[in-house]
This record gives sequence, C-alpha cells and structure tokens, in this order.
Amino acid sequence: MSVSQTALAPDDRRGVVRTGALASVCHHCGEALTAAGTVASGDHLFCCNGCAAAASWIQQAALEDYYRLRSVPAGRVDADAADFAGWDREVVLAEHSRIVPGGREITVLTDAMRCAACAWLVDRALHRIPGVLDAGANAVTGRIVVAWDPEKVALSALMSRLNALGYRPWLATGDAREQAQKQERRRWLIRLGVAGLGAIQAMMFAEALYLDTAGQMPLATRDFFRWITFLVSTPVVFYSGWPFLEGMWRELRGRRLGMDTLIASSTLLAYFASLVETVRGGPHVWYDAAVMFVLLLLVARMFEQRARRVASAQVDALARARPALATRERDDGRREQVALAELAVGDVVRVASGESVPADGVVLDHACGFDEALITGESVPVQRAPGATALAGSLCREQAARIRVTRVGNDTRLSQLTRLVEQAQGGRPALARVAERVASGFVLVLVPCALAVYAWWQQHDPARALEVTLALLVVSCPCALSLAIPTALTAAHGALARMGVLGLRGDALSALARVDRVVFDKTGTLSNGRPQLDTVGIFNGTDPDDALAIAAALERDSGHPLAHAFSDIHSDHRAEQLHSIPGHGIEARIGDAGWRLGRAEFAAGGEDDGALWLGRDGIAVARFTISEAMREDARAAVEALQAQGLQVELCSGDAHAPVRRFAAAIGIDTVRSRQTPEQKLTHVRDLQSRGDVVAMVGDGLNDAPVLAGADVSIAMAEGAALAQRAADFVVTSPSLLRIPEAIALARRTQVIVRQNLVWALGYNLLALPLAATGHVTPWIAAVGMALSSLLVTLNALRLGRRPVGGARP
Amino acid sequence: MTILLLLVPLSLVLLGVAIWAFVWAVRRGQFDDLDTPAIDILREDAPPAAAKPPQESADAD
Repeated sequence: MSVSQTALAPDDRRGVVRTGALASVCHHCGEALTAAGTVASGDHLFCCNGCAAAASWIQQAALEDYYRLRSVPAGRVDADAADFAGWDREVVLAEHSRIVPGGREITVLTDAMRCAACAWLVDRALHRIPGVLDAGANAVTGRIVVAWDPEKVALSALMSRLNALGYRPWLATGDAREQAQKQERRRWLIRLGVAGLGAIQAMMFAEALYLDTAGQMPLATRDFFRWITFLVSTPVVFYSGWPFLEGMWRELRGRRLGMDTLIASSTLLAYFASLVETVRGGPHVWYDAAVMFVLLLLVARMFEQRARRVASAQVDALARARPALATRERDDGRREQVALAELAVGDVVRVASGESVPADGVVLDHACGFDEALITGESVPVQRAPGATALAGSLCREQAARIRVTRVGNDTRLSQLTRLVEQAQGGRPALARVAERVASGFVLVLVPCALAVYAWWQQHDPARALEVTLALLVVSCPCALSLAIPTALTAAHGALARMGVLGLRGDALSALARVDRVVFDKTGTLSNGRPQLDTVGIFNGTDPDDALAIAAALERDSGHPLAHAFSDIHSDHRAEQLHSIPGHGIEARIGDAGWRLGRAEFAAGGEDDGALWLGRDGIAVARFTISEAMREDARAAVEALQAQGLQVELCSGDAHAPVRRFAAAIGIDTVRSRQTPEQKLTHVRDLQSRGDVVAMVGDGLNDAPVLAGADVSIAMAEGAALAQRAADFVVTSPSLLRIPEAIALARRTQVIVRQNLVWALGYNLLALPLAATGHVTPWIAAVGMALSSLLVTLNALRLGRRPVGGARP
Repeated sequence: MTILLLLVPLSLVLLGVAIWAFVWAVRRGQFDDLDTPAIDILREDAPPAAAKPPQESADAD
C-alpha cells in the first residue's frame, strides 16, 4: 500500500522511491533507513521509534489519508517526550492564552509543518481529543491555534500529542502580539477588498460616461453618474488608500520625496480635480484613474508584505530561546516555578544544565559554560566566572547555574535582539531598496516636469492643461518599477519553499545567484549523518563491551553527529563534568577516572590515524573505526553543481584518509580534512578575498561560524538548530539535489528581475513624452500603467513554475 | 433613462452587500488559511464511529 501511495503522491521523494529498494526510506519521515535504527511496525519500516509511534497513532486515528495528501515528507519525530507540564500553570496561561467562551485559546508555533497536509493532520489530531473546542493549523505561518476546555483536558496533554506527531510546539511571543499581527493582516485584506469592489463599480459608472462619445447624454444624467462615481470612489481613496496618504504625511514631515508622495498626490489630484469638475460641470472627470491607481498599488504592496512574512521564521527562532518558566530560589532556599513575567531584578534563579537562561543576570557560586550562539553568534560555549553576566536566551552547558537577575523582560539582550531582527525585517531587501531609490529619483525629476508641462498647456490650451498633467503623473508613476522586484522575490521564495528550501533572509537569493564556489561539510551533509560502527580494537586487556559502554556514555550527551554510531549501545555509566572540545573530542569523568574520546593525539597521545580513540587518563583503551554512507543523491548533486559551472570543495573535520576516499567516491577533487571550525572559516575568508562568492553547506554544530561567514549559507534540516539559525537557507527536503535547483532558480530570478526593471523603466520613459504632448488621456494612462504592472507581475510569476524535467503530476 | 434611477441605487446596494459579506468573511478568518481546507474534500470518507481516538496512554512515547 505504501509504495503505490507514495509513488502517486506529488512527492519530492519520488526519485528516492524509484531508485531505492521498496522500503529503503522511513514510511513517515522519508529518511534513508539504516540497519541499526530500523523499526518495523505493521506493514511499514521506520527510522526510529518516534516515527513509528507517530505513524501508528495516525493509523489508529484513521487519519492515514495524511500520507496520501502530503506533498512533502514529514520531519523526523523526536522520540524524547518533552515536558510540557509547566505550560499548565496559571501564570503561563495568563500571558500566552486568552479566554474564549467555554475555555481558553492559545497560539503556538511549530517549525515542522511543511505542507497543507500537515496542517490538516494537526487539525484532525487535536479535534479528536475530548475537551478541544476548536483547532486550526496554518502551514504557511507555522501557527497552531487551539481552543480547549481546561476543566476537561490539560494544555500539556495537547502539546504532548503534537510533540509525539513530530510537531514540537513553542510558545509564541505573547498573545497580544499574535492578535495584533492577525488584525493587521485582516485590515490589509479588507482595504484590498473595498478597493477591488469599489474600483470595479466606479469603472462601470465611468464606462457609461466614456461610451457617450457623441455627447448625447443629457446633462442631468451625466451629472448623476458623476456624483454616484464620486460616492463610490470616496471610500476607495480615503479608506483603502489610507496607507499611501499616511505614507505621504510621513515623507513630507521627513522632508523627502518618495513613492508614497507621488501616489497619494496623484490620487488626490485626480480625485479633487474630478470633484471640482463635477461641481462646476466641466468636460472631464478622472475618478476612474484615482480608484484604479489605489487598487493596483495596494495589490503591489500585498505582494511585498508576503515576501517579508517569509522571512519571519527568524524572529520565531529567537522566541523559542525564551523558556516558559523560571525556577526561582526563595529566601528560605526552597525552589518554586514562576512565569517569566513574575521575575524581578534581584531574584535568584536556578538554571539546570541544558536549559536556557530566563533573564540577564550575574553568575553566582561557580564558573559555568554558556552557549551564547543565538545571541552573539559565538559557537563555542563561553565560561562565565562568578560575577560575570549570563545573557537571557543562552543555554546553560555542563552544570546547573545560580544566577542573580539584573535585567528582566524587555531590557534583556534577547528582547533587544528580537527587536533588531524585527526592524531588519521591516526594512526592505537591498534589491527592493535599489528600486526605491530609482523611483525616488524619478519622482524628483517628475515634479518639475509636470509643472513645466502644466505651464506650457496653460498657455496654449488651458482647457486641457489639468488633464494632460494628470495623465503625465499617472502614466509615469513608477509602480511597475516598485513591483518589479518584490513580485519576483515573492514568487522565487514561494517556488523555493515548494521545492523544500526555506529562504530565511530576503537578500540571500541574489547572493545565491552569484555563487561560484560551493564548500561542503561532510558529516550529515554529503553523508547521511548516520555513522556506523565498523570495527572495535581493544588494548591493554579491556573488555570490548565495557569500552563500548563507556564510549556510548561519553557520546550520549555530546550532540555530535558521531553519537549516532553509539546510540544503540546500552550504557549504565554516568559521565560527569562532560566537556566537548570541537575538532578534538570529548572528555568527562566516569567513576574516578578521566576518559577521553576523540582523535588519537587527544585521547591517547598517539598519532592521528583517522580512527576514534578511547583513552583512560591518557592511555589508549580502544580504537573504533566509523564509516559513513553517502547520501543517495550526493554524487548527482555534485555533478549538477559542476555542470552549472561551480567549483565544489569538501571541507571536513574528519581525518585525511576517509575524507579523501569519500571525496573520490562523490567526484570532488578539492579536499581539505582535519579542519577546525576556525580553519574552515579562515579558508572561506581566503576564498572570499580572492574574489570568490562562497556558498557553505553544512549541518553540524561546529559549522555555525563558517555558515555565518560565508556569502550564502545553506543548512540541512536534520542538522543542529544552531546551524540553521546562522543559515540563509534551510533545506527541508532530504535530497541534496535541491541545492543545484535552488541555485538555478536564484539565477533565473536575477534574470527576471533585470527584465522587469528594464521593462518598467523603458515603459515609463516611453510614455512620458507621449503624455506630455497630450496623446494620452488619464484613463488610458491608468490602463497603460495597470497593464505594465500586470506584465511585470506575470513575468515574475513564471518563477513559480518548475523547470522542465521537474514537472509535477 | 428613468430606469437608471432604479438600477444605479440597486447596484449600490449590491456593492454594499458585497463589501459587507467580504468584511464578514475576513473577520471570521475565512482567508487566514487558503491551503488546508482545500484538501479536506480529497480525503476518503471514514465512518465517524470508526474514527475513535486511540488511547492516550498506549502511545505516549
């Protein structure tokens, strides 16, 4: 059943299903199966218990249609049950939910929803739980809204259900902000609706006036039509067009001329000139030009806003760093859980290892390591001595910390950072700013032009002076210019998302088009990230099982990709004071001995031979060789990149011999091995100083700095969340072929942007003299402008289509 | 031409109704998600009785 269904689905995995054996991928998440981790359940095979449990729940709940409806495979399900008990507390509910009839409503974020079928599944799964009043998931915004009856079911139960299905929920930044965003979106939609309906109606009345070419209409009827058109266009100009009027007001107060000024003044001129003509019975009215103008420009603005919303994933990532609750220590030494809002300056909080720090504060008692990658971009945990500042949102590593709170709420560094990202998003992408500057220059030239034209016509044919000037203003409005870039970027981001590549930064697309060198990390990027243990060598009479158990205990908490190789080994040992030294290995204490696992010179003082060594107090105990399988389409992806004229490099932290073997198998000539994160970064900087535009593809924790340093960074979705935060693009599809496809798309986007700009500028420059010489009436000008904008939009929408060969059923 | 005196106000009333309906739909959240409801009808019908939720405890992890 699964095979036919998967093959029928418009699914990115089709290639994988065709080439591989029948069940070479996990039924739920589509990842390649390994011999070690595979779980069989029912008719299907799964990569882990988490996926198997999710699938069996889906089957029991009769929601198997999900597998048929989805267009993108699900994410891997984390089998670890996260603890949501804290979410049930009144203080958390008060901040993040609101009261609705019959219960409460909360909005949570998740990053695992990838297509409409996910939203559908979440919807159904929640509706099945007794006590849930209403549920709605939106795959585009990644938001889930749940209304539930707290008397009947706890919020934590609902959240655990979502987590078990693979959609880990996060608290949104607060109910008030969520509601405000929703209101804002709806207000725009209503403005657009009013403009659309009003403009159609106004055009119909205007049509009646235009059709009277012989001037036979009785004056009373004509005036009646004019007043009716006035009535219909008034709300369009002042309600729908309000953002432009407001923009003009802002620009004038800031003493600059921008697009809004041109738009609003043209609209107001057309509107009030028509009103004057209506009152005094003049020969022409131009209400139609005013309303069409507002409508078309609103559509353009909507496109632009959509492009910006795509980038909002970044703020959401920051929101996650904030814990729901803090553990406060009372004066008598007892601990209590409190909401973040309740924390005050001077409180002492305890942060367990692995948790995030709730507020900025001073470290007490003893030195602690904090992972501040999210806040400072520093990938290596920093040691904070007693008295030093710990930042909210940083992760406490190694051991629990006590912190005296110095700043709370909006004063914390994390909140400031969130605001910065939001501001950056409020700003337009660099490309769009270029268009804005061109348009602004255009306006500056246009105003004296219009005045001169008006003066000339006033002298030679005063009756047509206003009309010609109006036509000039309307026809020369650079709105096609301002549409040219946002539409292309939106269409490209949409196409990327459907392809399984999420663009997190607006500017990254143009950098991606210019890339001429791609540097790959190996583990988890070109390889499938599931290393397997090959051989175990034993020294000094150690028991092999014991050595394996100790290695497993060391790897268990390291989060390193190599940990996968040991994940099946049961271990009773407890590693204490665990330190992970990037590029070298891990050290920890088990019992009364100090253990090290990693490169030979680090673990056992030997010569690096590419294997993983286990050492006890510096004496070699065991040697493990680890092998990695390459991703199925790694070779095809590298070949596609080379065919695009790109230089492909491999830059790995692993030992020379295996990396070289791996590179040869995949077809890469330029190889660097045994690279620390710093060396990788230096290498990328070298390439950049030689004039190369470098794209870095990585996934590991160690890659965060080099990802941030490259011109374009691409992270694989299964990788560390940290690497994704530093990345410009996240590839959510398991196929590496998406990378050459994304580069091809970025290049096509550049071409289309250029076409659009040339067309928009050319059209305006051509139309200007025609309008100035009186060959264009205002309504022809409005139609011409509309057609020009439409052409630009349609041209941009070509990006949404898949290239030949990737056609969908 | 007097028919216009009836038809034009009528069109204005219709315009008012259309705008009211649109605003109502937006306020009710009809346009918040345009993708998910579309696939509802693609699903094969399952008898509601058979679609009992599985026990929470049986699959908690």
